[in-house]
Amino acid sequence: MAQQIKTAPENWLSEYGDILYRYALIRVRSEATAEDLVQETLLAGLQAVERFSGKSTVRTWLISILKHKIIDHFRKNRHEITVLNDDETAEDVLAYQFDQQGNWKINLIEWGTPEKSMDNEQFWVAFNECLSRLPQRMADLLLLRAVDGLATEECCELLGFDTDNQLWVTLSRTRVKLRQCLETNWFSKE
Amino acid sequence: MYKCKEIIELTSQNMETSLPWYTRMEMKAHYLMCKTCNRYAQQLQFMNKALGVFEGHVPTENCQLSDDAKQRIAKKMCQVKETAE
Repeated sequence: MAQQIKTAPENWLSEYGDILYRYALIRVRSEATAEDLVQETLLAGLQAVERFSGKSTVRTWLISILKHKIIDHFRKNRHEITVLNDDETAEDVLAYQFDQQGNWKINLIEWGTPEKSMDNEQFWVAFNECLSRLPQRMADLLLLRAVDGLATEECCELLGFDTDNQLWVTLSRTRVKLRQCLETNWFSKE
Repeated sequence: MYKCKEIIELTSQNMETSLPWYTRMEMKAHYLMCKTCNRYAQQLQFMNKALGVFEGHVPTENCQLSDDAKQRIAKKMCQVKETAE
């Protein structure tokens, strides 16, 4: 019910505008598109405010609207997706980690109890930084699957993968890259 | 027998789809023998956990909506509110 909303809609922009914008920017990597998505989200929120149950916080509720808007954005723009970065195969990372026989060349450092890092805001700065360093399509894929839970078939369609297998290989390499980045930028410095 | 390079690919694939039981058996046996692949699998699990909650930890320092954008959005919100009323 609307009266349960602690933050009045006129304050949404000042309270949550930057958070929505940053989240959108991580996902779409274009300032103009991210601004449009924030606007669409707040307008949709305004129109749906009567249906807000108050079970979650306004912030969580607005982010969930934004996530739908982001998926819509991918659906609308799928023809524009091109593979911009040939770094996407991540062969460099794989070659650094494995010898020609497919055995590890490096030691992975112990991350200890990594869950502890989740309480540290600096960890999230590093985490977001590592996400932003991934080639665009890799980041899109990882986040559509692991965050939005989109089905494999739909991810293939939206991001232009021909087969499930191609998508799985790319996803695995994305995880290799993200893991390596987190290790270099966070866990080896802890 | 899978190589480590193949195991890490299966480790990721196992999060996406249900692999045949014999493949999963072989992976388990590999993890028991290979500390590095075992560690890799644990780190991937942690990454998935972090991805599940990262939207609650979006840092906004040095990355804010421009004043122009704020004004534009505020204006739109007013328009929508007025039409609704």
